[in-house]
Amino acid sequence: MDLSYSQDDETFRAEVRDWLGSNLQGEFGALRGTGGSGREHEALELRREWERALGAGGWIGLGLPRECGGRGATLIQQVIFAEEYARADAPGRVNHMGEHLVAPTLVAFASEELQHRFLPGILTGEELWCQAYSEPGAGSDLAAVRTRARIAGGRWLIDGQKLWTSLAAHADWCFLLARTDPESERHRGLSYLLVPMRQDRIEIRPIVQMTGTSEFSEVFFDGAWTAEDCIVGDPGDGWRVAMGTLGFERGVATLAQQIGFERELAHVIEIARQTGAIEDPEIASRIIDAWAELRVMRYQAMRTLGTADAGPASVSKLLWANWHRRLGELAMDVRGPSAAILPGGPYELDREQALFLFSRADTIYAGSNEIQRNIIAERVLGLPRGE
Amino acid sequence: MQFGLDDDQLELKRTVRAFLERHSAPGIVRHAAEHEDGFAASAWERLVGEMELTSLRIDSEHGGAGASFVEVGIALEELGRTLLPVPFLPTVVAAAAISDSPDDGVSGPLLERIAAGEIATVALSGRPPVATRVGDVITVRGSIDYVPDGERAGVLVLGALLEGEPSMLALELGADGVEVSPVLTLDQTRRQATVRLTDCSAMALSSGPVGRSAYDRARSVLAIAYSVEAVGAAERCLDLTVAYLGERVQFGRPIGSFQALKHRCADLYVSLEAARSAAYYAAWAVDGAPAELPVLGPLAQLVCVDALLRIAAESIQLHGGIGFTWEHQAHLFFKRAKSTELLCGGRRELRRLVGERAGIV
Repeated sequence: MDLSYSQDDETFRAEVRDWLGSNLQGEFGALRGTGGSGREHEALELRREWERALGAGGWIGLGLPRECGGRGATLIQQVIFAEEYARADAPGRVNHMGEHLVAPTLVAFASEELQHRFLPGILTGEELWCQAYSEPGAGSDLAAVRTRARIAGGRWLIDGQKLWTSLAAHADWCFLLARTDPESERHRGLSYLLVPMRQDRIEIRPIVQMTGTSEFSEVFFDGAWTAEDCIVGDPGDGWRVAMGTLGFERGVATLAQQIGFERELAHVIEIARQTGAIEDPEIASRIIDAWAELRVMRYQAMRTLGTADAGPASVSKLLWANWHRRLGELAMDVRGPSAAILPGGPYELDREQALFLFSRADTIYAGSNEIQRNIIAERVLGLPRGE
Repeated sequence: MQFGLDDDQLELKRTVRAFLERHSAPGIVRHAAEHEDGFAASAWERLVGEMELTSLRIDSEHGGAGASFVEVGIALEELGRTLLPVPFLPTVVAAAAISDSPDDGVSGPLLERIAAGEIATVALSGRPPVATRVGDVITVRGSIDYVPDGERAGVLVLGALLEGEPSMLALELGADGVEVSPVLTLDQTRRQATVRLTDCSAMALSSGPVGRSAYDRARSVLAIAYSVEAVGAAERCLDLTVAYLGERVQFGRPIGSFQALKHRCADLYVSLEAARSAAYYAAWAVDGAPAELPVLGPLAQLVCVDALLRIAAESIQLHGGIGFTWEHQAHLFFKRAKSTELLCGGRRELRRLVGERAGIV
């Protein structure tokens, strides 16, 4: 057990800081604090430019092997980059899906040909990706996917409806889970396809959320197409690939996310001091608990960094999602009655209101609390499956 | 940077667990806890003699293994799993406070005695007693309640107000002017005593300019020791509960297949994992990041005590009727949970300390 950083790591940290310091200024300086969950629509064009700048600087795909165009950075270096990025209050990344879900999936499951075709677009920040998994009848139960794809005239033709796709209107490509064997059921007969988003046979309808804003869309595929070779893994092997993709959604990002959480908590404490709410013992005790729990989440993330088991991922998701939701409640309570008044119309939200409302999604997306508890109960604790 | 235990530490964990599986069967724990003196004497002899666990962190010059507090934590966690009534925790916390002393002339012989098997205990909570110095002679007067394993220990390490300043002292529990009265405890796996000191002579471990920081550090180390031990108890208690839910059949199926129970177990597991992370980090910080201890002590204890209380309480409920019996061990964990909380001043006080030391309130 040794929690100190090596000299190499400190050198790497200095390089990251230096680059961010000299690039996150001028036009890009205005991007500080923009984007992120609940604010995906902010300054989107400039954030795309910023993504290209990151690509040119060699900061995308840090953990990918060198031969695939990455840096082959260690896990700790990836954490350092993510932490420094968050500390600089640099903007929310527009191509999280491409960098953290598609690229590692391609490296793990796709042919060299597909890798050569798609990795450069991700690593230069040129091509944006979105995820087409959930459907109206396939949310927590992803294996109930009904979107179909069949080969016709040397290409895949896709029919169906996807839901909760973020940045659908801006993405160039989506990765999509479709049923390619019409006779199949559940996990069998699904395939993992890569589909161009800019085509007539795809219709995108934004979903207006309870926040009044719209980060997610419904996507309708009405005979949409993709090339026959735009498939990762074999036809029918999509479930295994998709589960691998979900498996990449953990670890490094958690530690960086906590730096944003620290900033949000400090803001709530500041308000509590201004309004005098901190004098209330009940409020003070909630604030102290929030502070302590955030520390513990950090120790938890450090302890489980790099482990591939289901347990730590579900524990981490439950911890942060519940924590963030409680912080949203606390943010309103320290404000008092003014938190119920909108700053502008028709339905503009201030920072605390946005936190309060948007954090209700945290315990639902990327595996709801209920699904995470099932995973822990069955896969970690080994309790018997229900009937 | 590497958070996990290294190979040697994992080996230590395996060795201690294997040893305890042989020497702390539930029957042994039960017998010792219910016996008049509440002490698993033969297991203790082996822990100290064969395993040399109490001297892990004592330097080799004084007969120890020179390990870090992480290794001590491993032993505490494993002992916590068993609830074995032995005075390990107060002895190693006392040893840590003694080794912090800048005065080798005082600390050296005490450490050698502990390395050779002497039992020590600590008095670090509540209002510190008053000590006076006349020439080279320090005497202490006052009554100290809730001293863990006080009846069995030979050496007492205590915080005291020496000439008005917080200081760390050590005294012989067999000396003149010391009266040790065992009390009956709700948690029979951790006995306590009241120690009355009537101008008993004491040695200064850390006083003067280093007195306060040594006192605060000793309190944090004690808090962290309770935290790691609580994680062991919580883990074992949850293991037993989950195993029972897999075996117990009602309505024609194992009750562990009901989602209402599964989700409760999952939440308990989350609180256990969070507690483990806090406890391990804090145990590492004792030697790895001492400046963080003032916050980490109460923080780790708050999280770990909370997890153990929840898990032990739910364990009784999830066991149903059998969990309410004297015969079943569920109540032992429940009582250990409450005694651990109360010995460290309660959750309200811990929360207050975290808030104050983190600069929040």
